[in-house]
Amino acid sequence: MIVVRARGLVQRFGDRVALGPLDLELAAGERLAVLGGNGAGKTTLLRLLATVVRPAAGRLELFGLDATRQRERLRARLGYVGHQLGLYPALTAFENLEFFARLYGLGRGEARTALEVVGLSGAAGRRLEQLSRGQQQRLALARSVLHDPELLILDEPDASLDAEGRDLLATLFEGRSVVMATHDLALARELCGRALLLRSGRDAGHCGRLRPPEDRPRVPRAIGRWGPATEAEGTSPSAWPPAVRIGEARGVSPR
Amino acid sequence: MRFAAAAMAVAGKDLRCELRGKELLPALAQFVVLSLVIASFAFDLDSSSGPRLSPGILWLVLVFAGLLAFGRTFAAERDTGSLEAMLLTPAGPSAVFAGKALAATVLLVACEAVLLPAMAVFLASPISPAVVATVLLATVGMASLGCLFAALAAQTRARELLLPVLTLPLWIPFVVVGGRAVQVAMSGGGFGAWSPVGQPYAVLLDFDILFLVVTSLAARFVLDD
Repeated sequence: MIVVRARGLVQRFGDRVALGPLDLELAAGERLAVLGGNGAGKTTLLRLLATVVRPAAGRLELFGLDATRQRERLRARLGYVGHQLGLYPALTAFENLEFFARLYGLGRGEARTALEVVGLSGAAGRRLEQLSRGQQQRLALARSVLHDPELLILDEPDASLDAEGRDLLATLFEGRSVVMATHDLALARELCGRALLLRSGRDAGHCGRLRPPEDRPRVPRAIGRWGPATEAEGTSPSAWPPAVRIGEARGVSPR
Repeated sequence: MRFAAAAMAVAGKDLRCELRGKELLPALAQFVVLSLVIASFAFDLDSSSGPRLSPGILWLVLVFAGLLAFGRTFAAERDTGSLEAMLLTPAGPSAVFAGKALAATVLLVACEAVLLPAMAVFLASPISPAVVATVLLATVGMASLGCLFAALAAQTRARELLLPVLTLPLWIPFVVVGGRAVQVAMSGGGFGAWSPVGQPYAVLLDFDILFLVVTSLAARFVLDD
């Protein structure tokens, strides 16, 4: 089953093209790391996929439904954590989750379970402003899986997380399709099977299949060096799996 | 059923946050009392002029207190990204709007609970049940309109300027009709004015229904990108 299918997806801010045109496919259970420098369009892509904003042009389907017209039907199947955590400082960790659980039509039990999953049961009664940034990030992750979504869309979910918190991501990803923006190549390799590289402006970028860490001759230190270290399977676009033919139509070659 | 549950959840959350944070209510109460103190000195009110000028002062204070209250309704949510998080749930923009409007109405009513007794103290205004009913009736319509424009203004940088510019013209009917109703009530008119069609109370009720319907229809277009 194809979870995400984008064709000629474009987003503009005023006259500036922030993303696209971009083609993308993601099958059920696949995990895609979205990589790129600052301003490359990672957050824009994630916000489009999460149905926060509508695309300026192109077509986006999630679970076979039009993501522009049937957003409300889709939202129960999506979990999203953006740059801003979207939590309430005056409420406790549990109250935050309980509130969102009610909006999803769920009860206190689900909120309690989600707190346990992210290891915050001990901090349930503490207000958000009394939690560390990493704990707040965990709480936002708990909110994103509260309703057991099929597709997780996460913008730099590793921000402020400790090693244990990063292990938590692997747990949360189990059995789900994931699109995750990150600057951490090691994390992308560890958690995601595929990568999509975005570049600033109109250049929508290209995609490659990530090699397992043990196969890699060297690890680039900065995102700017990502290109040489990313490789697509096969030598011609036709050899790639359909889901990685990003930019193929525009003649962009994988490195 | 789900709409009502979601709206109640949003309203409960807003009120709980306000009670914990104590940001808006103390400031509103202080604003109300200070406005009345200034008015009592500025107009040199006595026992005869007080009741005559009271309706105008009441609506002026209520309008500006409302702008203060509604200005905060969506701005903070937009800044922290929590509005986005709420809108990504299946609750829907209309339920979110209804909840926020309900919470804003409760806050404004709390502000009126300070305003009306303070008017009796500072301006010697006769506060009757008819005055309270008028103010409460107007509050419903004013809150729904104020919330809608607060949601709209929160998307812009000049939100503090835009909110009064958008809201005040549409609050004028409440001020005109409500002012008349309060004047009637303060001069001894009671609930007898309810039944005849065209009386201020009936007009206020009509405004409430009209604006509640219009704002709840418009909310989804304002909130949902």
